[in-house]
Parts: sequence; structure tokens; C-alpha cells
Amino acid sequence: MSVHTRDPLVVGGVIGDVLERFTRSIDLRVTYGQREVTNGLDIRPSQILNKPRVEIGGEDLRNFYTLVMVDPDVPSPSNPHLREYLHWLVTDIPATTGTNFGNEIVSYENPRPTSGIHRIVLVLFRQLGRQTVYEPGWRLQFNTREFAALYNLGLPVAAVYFNCQRDNGCGGRRS
Amino acid sequence: MLSSAKHKINHSAFSVSSLSYPLPQSHSQADNMTQVTMEEVWKEINLASLQHRQLNINHEPMLSNQNPNNSIFKDFLNKPLNQEPPPSASTTLHRSLPPPPETVLSLNPRSINTHFDESARFGCFGKKRGGQDSDESRGDRRHKRMIKNRESAARSRARKQAYTNELELAVSHLQKENARLKRQEEQLKMAEATQHQAKRKLQRSWTAPF
Repeated sequence: MSVHTRDPLVVGGVIGDVLERFTRSIDLRVTYGQREVTNGLDIRPSQILNKPRVEIGGEDLRNFYTLVMVDPDVPSPSNPHLREYLHWLVTDIPATTGTNFGNEIVSYENPRPTSGIHRIVLVLFRQLGRQTVYEPGWRLQFNTREFAALYNLGLPVAAVYFNCQRDNGCGGRRS
Repeated sequence: MLSSAKHKINHSAFSVSSLSYPLPQSHSQADNMTQVTMEEVWKEINLASLQHRQLNINHEPMLSNQNPNNSIFKDFLNKPLNQEPPPSASTTLHRSLPPPPETVLSLNPRSINTHFDESARFGCFGKKRGGQDSDESRGDRRHKRMIKNRESAARSRARKQAYTNELELAVSHLQKENARLKRQEEQLKMAEATQHQAKRKLQRSWTAPF
């Protein structure tokens, strides 16, 4: 359903900085409390302390999916030399279910940006098979593209992102 | 209007040069003349665009202690990197200082505000005489700051646009779904109505005596 360059994922730079262009094929619903995450929404760290509820679509329960949650704007969007930070990694999610039914191989770490307004991206990939994905060694300098290539995940099947800045304002200018 | 202003400045510039080299014999005369012309000059400068200042400065005599200030003025004027000097200026007047963009920026003075605050008069000429190095680093920092600010502004615009697009998509989607659901409701109502009538008939048949 990508509407050429009007796609929010493209305009927001997620496609480009984190992902390749792809076609959405699976529903992805991310909810923090009562708030459903839609692209470009502003959410503060205090609202995302705990992992969100994630429900995915698809039809065949025999298909398994991997959810990746990254922050590409670390430590700050003007100088993202530590891109990306891996906040959450859940694998083996059966279609039509959610992350509760998957395998949380990298536990949820709530984003706490200190400088600037960060994008937080959630990406869904289809796995080739079950238990074919392993956790990386560390969270910093994660690369979603490489990760997907490494485990033959192919292009994403769904993605959503939101903006996150410090509760007391975006942290202003350093240096 | 641009070209006429240029002409005026050309005239005034020659008078300015006479001020820098005061002629002792016609001192008083020169004073009067130069007073008028200086005022004229500064008026032109204030009225004219930035590029015209550049013309004026290039006409002035190249006193060594004025050079840095000239460059600074010019750099100050050249601050927008991609702004091009007027064609006439480049052909006739740029004989001495064809500045590559880096050096232009490196001699960049402080912000525009300080210039105007110092009443943009001779005071300016005396002010910017700090070491060449601090000027350069100041200019570099300003340049970097400007670039960073531009990027930040672009990110901000992209953020806003992305959110707007998402909302528009959502609205469009919801409108379609709403229309679809309303149609569905209509159909269901109609189906129920006909079924109701059919049921009544059936009921009658049920109450028929056996």
C-alpha cells in the first residue's frame, strides 16, 4: 500500500536509513496501553516503559515472523554514529498471533533518548522456518538490513515507526 | 533600480578614496566634499543590496589594515554560499580577491546583528582585527552550525510531513470503510425486512389449523 513518495515511511526517512522499500503484506498492530502506534506519532518515554502489545496478521499459522525494534537516531539524530540501537527482538511469532506467542530473544528495553527527537521503528519479517534466528551479541550499532540478510528474512512485510523525545523537551543542542 | 544604485556607488567610491588619502592643500574643501559623499556612500550602502556593497569595497584603496575588513565585509555579504555576485561585479571589479568558498567562509565575521548594532559605520572597520585563526575557527563553527541547523530543519519538516501523510491515509481509509459499513448495514436492514415479511407469512402458515 505504499503511495510512492508520500508513504510516511519514506518521508520520515525510515525507508532509506533503516529499511529498503517494501510492500506491506501483513497487518501489524502495536499498542502502548490505549494508544495505537501510527506512523509519526509522538510518544514520550514515560508512555513506553513497558513493552507494547503487538498483534500481527497473516493467515497460515505455520508461518513464523520476527519483530525487530530499533532506534536509528542514536545517540542523536544530528549525529547518529551509533545507529541503530536494538530495543527488542522477538522471533517465531506465529501468524495471526502476537509477540506473547513468540520467542523474546532480546528483551524489551524502553527507549530513553537524551538528545533530539528519535525515530523508533518496529519491523516485521517473515522467517523461512522456525528457530532460524539467533540473537546478536550487543544492542548498539545494530544493522537491520544486515540482520535480515544474515537470516534470509528478505524484505519486511510490515513496519511502523513513531517519534520519541525526552519527557522534558528534546534535549536541545550539545556542542 | 539595481543598476542605477550601482552607478551611484561607483561615483561615491571614488570620493571615498579621496578621504583615505587626505589632500592637505584642499583640506577644508575635501572635508565638505567628503562629508557629503561619505554620507551619500553610506546611504547607498544601506539602501542597496548586499552585492552592491561588494562593488563599493572593491573600489576602495587596498590599505593593508583594511584588507581583512574588506574580506570580512565581502564574506559577510557572501554568507549565503550559493549566492552569486552580480555579473558586472565579477567581470570588472574582482581583480584582487577571487575568493574560493572556503576562505570566504573562514573569514566570516560574527553574526549579522553585531554588524548592525555597531551602527555599521567606521566602527566596523576597526573591530574585526582579531587573529586570522580565531576568525577561521569562528567561521568554521558558524558554517557547521548552519549546516546542522539546516539538517535539523529538514528533519523537522520531514517529521511533520510524514505525520500529515499518515493522517491523510488514515482518513481516506476510514472514509472508505465507513461507506462500506454503511452499505453493509443498509443491505442487512433490507435483508432483515424481507425476512421479517417472509417470517410473518410463515407464522400464518404455522397458525393455520391442522
